[in-house]
Amino acid sequence: MLYTINKSPLMFGNLKSALRIAPEGEPVLLYEDGVYAAAHGAATEALVADALAKHPIFALKADLEARGITRLIDGIRVVDYDGFVALVEEHPVVPWL
Amino acid sequence: MENTVAVLMRKAPYGSVYTAEGLRSILGIGVFEIDVRVLFVDDGVYALVKNQDPSVLDMKSLGDAFPSLPEFGVSSFTVHAPSLAERGLSVEDLVIDAELVDDAGAAALLASAGTVLPF
Repeated sequence: MLYTINKSPLMFGNLKSALRIAPEGEPVLLYEDGVYAAAHGAATEALVADALAKHPIFALKADLEARGITRLIDGIRVVDYDGFVALVEEHPVVPWL
Repeated sequence: MENTVAVLMRKAPYGSVYTAEGLRSILGIGVFEIDVRVLFVDDGVYALVKNQDPSVLDMKSLGDAFPSLPEFGVSSFTVHAPSLAERGLSVEDLVIDAELVDDAGAAALLASAGTVLPF
């Protein structure tokens, strides 16, 4: 299952909640304001770094660029729209709105 | 289970339109005899507590609606137990008999569905 997150991890508990339930190994996709979780130096970095040991974590390129997020946490995989579509084709989606 | 829909309820009932819209969707899906499983996680569990009376807000009680869902073919209700416990609640506080699951149980339910609809 692909767990998708579109809310800022600093304003909302969506990321933390999804990571609690997502079984180890399941991919996570950050998009819209969810991409702030990919930012190096944010207060949520430790949470994301721990999660990277258990899950592949993807962040949508257009949403990163739109927000000026250039310094990413090591291990975050950046995907473009084609990559987004490929992930959705490959995995059933659990949208953690 | 391609024809199963999991409805994932994560919002508290009166602060947004999500719970009411989720309920409408559950009714609609149930009427079409599609297998619906409703999973309550995080603030979604607040939709199930007894003694809701939003009449002072000019709103209908969403808590009253869930017990009538079996009449519409929907009878699979699952609650994420840690979410319930974190809110100081137990099954006795809920308007329906729901199955309790842990993190892995919630993930398994979501994985068993052909589609996950989030509210």
